[in-house]
Amino acid sequence: MALQPISPNPNPALIELKDVVKTYSSEAGDFTALKGIHLQVQPGEFLGIVGKSGAGKSTLLNMITGVDRLTSGEVRIRASGQEVSVHSLSENDLALWRGRSMGVVYQSFQLLPMLTLLENIILPMDLCGLYHPRESRRRALQLLEMVEIAEHAHKLPAYISGGQQQRVAIARALANDPPILVADEPTGSLDSVTADHIFDVFESLVQKGKTIVMVTHDMGLMPRFSRHLLLTDGEISPPPASLSSASPRPKK
Amino acid sequence: MRPRWRKVFLDLFENKTRMLLVVFSIAVGVFSIGVIAGAYVIIENDMSASYAANQPANIELRTADFDRDFLATLENAPDIAEVEGRRVFNIRARPLQSQVWTTLNLVAVDDFENNTVNLLTSLQGASEPAKREALLERKVLDELSAAVGDDLVFQLSDGSTQVLRVAGIVQDPTTGADDFLAPPIVYVTMDTLPYLSQPEAFNRIYATVETGENDDAHIRLTAADLADRMERGGGVDVYRTRIALKNEHPLAPTVNAVLGILMALGILIVFLSSSLIANTLAALLNQHLRHIGVMKLVGGRDNQIFAMYLALILAFGVLALLLAVPFGGIGAYQLSLYIADQLGFTLLGYRIVPFSFVIQMAVGIFVPLFAGFVPVINGSRITVLDALSGDLAHETATRDAAGRRRESVFERLENWFDELLLRRGIHLPRPLLISLRNTFRRQNRLLLTLFTLTMGGAIFIAVFNVRTTLFDYMDNVGRYFVADVTLDFDKPYRLSEVERLARQEPGVVDVEGWAFAAVEVLYPDGTLAENLTVLAPPAGSEMISPDPVAGRWVQAGDTRSIAITEGILRSFPNLKPGDYLDVKIAGNEERWQVVGFFKFIDREGLIAYGTYEYFSRETNLANRSVSFRVLTDQHAEPYQRAMSEKLDKRFRDAGFQVSQARPGLSALDNATESLDILVIFLLIMAMLTAVVGAMGLTGTMGMNVLERTREIGIMRAIGAVDAEIMRMVIVEGMVIGGISWLLGLLLSVPFTYLLSYIVSLAVFETPITVVFTPLGYLIWLALVIVLSALASIIPARNAARLTIREVLAYE
Ligand SMILES: Nc1ncnc2c1ncn2[C@@H]1O[C@H](COP(=O)(O)OP(=O)(O)O)[C@@H](O)[C@H]1O
Ligand SMILES: [Mg+2]
Repeated sequence: MALQPISPNPNPALIELKDVVKTYSSEAGDFTALKGIHLQVQPGEFLGIVGKSGAGKSTLLNMITGVDRLTSGEVRIRASGQEVSVHSLSENDLALWRGRSMGVVYQSFQLLPMLTLLENIILPMDLCGLYHPRESRRRALQLLEMVEIAEHAHKLPAYISGGQQQRVAIARALANDPPILVADEPTGSLDSVTADHIFDVFESLVQKGKTIVMVTHDMGLMPRFSRHLLLTDGEISPPPASLSSASPRPKK
Repeated sequence: MRPRWRKVFLDLFENKTRMLLVVFSIAVGVFSIGVIAGAYVIIENDMSASYAANQPANIELRTADFDRDFLATLENAPDIAEVEGRRVFNIRARPLQSQVWTTLNLVAVDDFENNTVNLLTSLQGASEPAKREALLERKVLDELSAAVGDDLVFQLSDGSTQVLRVAGIVQDPTTGADDFLAPPIVYVTMDTLPYLSQPEAFNRIYATVETGENDDAHIRLTAADLADRMERGGGVDVYRTRIALKNEHPLAPTVNAVLGILMALGILIVFLSSSLIANTLAALLNQHLRHIGVMKLVGGRDNQIFAMYLALILAFGVLALLLAVPFGGIGAYQLSLYIADQLGFTLLGYRIVPFSFVIQMAVGIFVPLFAGFVPVINGSRITVLDALSGDLAHETATRDAAGRRRESVFERLENWFDELLLRRGIHLPRPLLISLRNTFRRQNRLLLTLFTLTMGGAIFIAVFNVRTTLFDYMDNVGRYFVADVTLDFDKPYRLSEVERLARQEPGVVDVEGWAFAAVEVLYPDGTLAENLTVLAPPAGSEMISPDPVAGRWVQAGDTRSIAITEGILRSFPNLKPGDYLDVKIAGNEERWQVVGFFKFIDREGLIAYGTYEYFSRETNLANRSVSFRVLTDQHAEPYQRAMSEKLDKRFRDAGFQVSQARPGLSALDNATESLDILVIFLLIMAMLTAVVGAMGLTGTMGMNVLERTREIGIMRAIGAVDAEIMRMVIVEGMVIGGISWLLGLLLSVPFTYLLSYIVSLAVFETPITVVFTPLGYLIWLALVIVLSALASIIPARNAARLTIREVLAYE
């Protein structure tokens, strides 16, 4: 996992979180799930965010994807030649921006049940309008081949296994060829062999130049990331070491 | 197909029951609007066109006898285009093989070939009768069976009979067009009259005007002038003047008003079906939240999602249109045909009415869009997080400023109710409690469902009340028809003479001779305002039981005084008891006092009552009369009919010139019949609203059960059996039905008043007293119980059929 040596630009981080705080208000009172997160992700990194259940991992990812609003702080992302402050975008602009710049994979696959696998992959291209319909279809088939389920292209999600569904979800995340992939426990509901295969897919994507941020509560996966962070009770620990260093340390 | 449109397409058929409910409920509304709008346009056009095409007389005068020479003098009267004389009188007829007499209007026409006014359309056989032949207006065939070539027996006033052969069947859309309750017509030539013991003289003028044939005021003046020429110039008394426009059928306003009422109900149905659409879409979007979330996650924007669901709504609309538009077009024409047949005019031919087509399209497309707009806009604006976390229970919960959930009104009501029961030591069974709680869980959905069902019920109940109101009014009119037999003669007879003979018939209790006067009420400028028939029973007569709504009834000692129907207020809106009216009676102008008003059905002019004592002298018939009323010892219809026949025979045998003897209430039969038709149409519309209401409830129950699948699974897992689960769902449906019935109870009151007001204005031209009947309430109660049980049974069975595994796998 060679690190892409940094460009001369003094601040080239692809993803940058500055003092991100997220507080949930509910009937039971306020709960601060993220307590001032600072984080930078460089292009080409395979960043693992590891922590126990309830540590705030999903919350953190939601801040990066803009799926949920933060309480204070800022998230800046420099992708596709533009720099955006995620939380200053309107809901609509955010959707379009996310569709083009960021693929998201969830533990529960989130495929549309009435559409075939192929259609599920075409959908983001259809919605974002980056590709001509014929081109979309060709790309979708390619992506299916890449994740090795091209023979099931016209099946409905319910007729394939969980591991296969997650491959389709990954293919869908790649539909608009975004530079960034974000995954929330993508292997969490899969058996260990299948999980391993899925992880292989992510690794091969990193090799193709994608930047990946993955969340997991599985400590055993730590060695396989190019860098990992430990999230405990809404804080990154140990804070000083990884915050200052822009260079990830591969851990094996 | 692009994936998002394919999703729309698949969503359409995702849940067949839901699709059918939505499509049918839109279709029912579109269909009824299409039928009524189409019929409205067809009738509005064809009724008057078919009328105008037959050269309707603008002026009709009922006069004393006159001859051809005199008629010729009228041809040059100012602004008269065509003028024809005819002879019209009542006669009884029967087919050879039948014993049942039918009263007909016999019209003798001078020259069938050169007929220029009130043209006849030949339908069958000859278009001109020869001597001793007759043409039948096709309405005659509704009363008796006859075909071209058959012989009909006519009874003359001396009791003898004559046989005329039927030469042809014709249609006459103009004569008597203002009174579809008048007896049907038979046409003969003038030279047939002697065979019927009638003089070869005219007693009717039918004329058209040269200019201004659609100008009411102008025709009125021309008519007054013509009548003047007859009376002053020729000494021919004019009894009655009727005027009509060329291009408007006299009944068009009434028919339009009735169609207007049906239209209002149609619009209401559309309105109700839109609440079902709103409910269904809200539920559908709820179920689709996760899909929306996913689409937004991968780049979908609000307007894309919005467009997808609008497309879905449009598809529902288009499916409904495919169903409703063809049937609507056919229905419109069938309804027009029916009305045309009832009123005796012809349609110009089958056609699609563009206006109705456009209206149906607009309703089928825009109403669903409108109804679905709010749920769709809410659904498409939801954030990814809310959508994916899919916590949808927000709906019933309003939040206070701090974001805490507040109890809804329904929940508070329910808690209050629970406590109330508990304090009295009543424990509701668990499943029932769960049912009740479920009922109130989705507040908006419940409100919309209740609204639909309540409106449906209220209309249903109101229609029954209106029906009772109408018939009660007819009963009231019956107060003026207490006599069991009406005995009319062709010439006056002494009261004592008639009474003596009538009392010889066993069963006769009392006999009265009534005076009668046909007069014209004049405006202050001397022009005709209204035709008025004065009936004058002896003061204090037992044969009517008057019910004046203002002022008093006429009494002994009254001279030049009348009690008159409220219809007079059309022409004299400020008239009050004690005021005077200018009238023209037998050519003389007089001034009469109005002592009171009463309610009546005004046909062919207004009715007033005076006293025999005064009016018999006024008409030079003191102690004599042409019209008698007989009271018998029984009052059932068949008995009255039998007595009529017996009296008819007795008087003819004794050499009296009987015109006719009729059972007392027969005059009202036709009116009651046509009211029945109106009520049936109202009931059909009421049924349609009820059906839409029931579909709304079915939809709601289906959605409730679907959304509660997990909960049902859990109940099952803790041991609830099928029957319990089914009961839970059905009870819930019935609770909603029951509440809607209670609300409908209240809402039906204003509806009844409104509908009665509109209907009575359209039909009787006067508001009538509203009468309530428990019938509608009871029928609707039974119906709502059955409907809501039915509406819940399918969802309940589906719920009971779910296995635990399916339920827990449900997403
Ligand atoms: N919508 C919410 N409202 C209130 N608290 C929440 C909400 N979402 C998450 N939390 C809380 O925030 C903390 C972090 O949650 P999450 O980010 O989902 O943890 P993880 O993904 O690491 O398991 C948890 O304690 C959770 O209970
Ligand atoms: Mg999580």
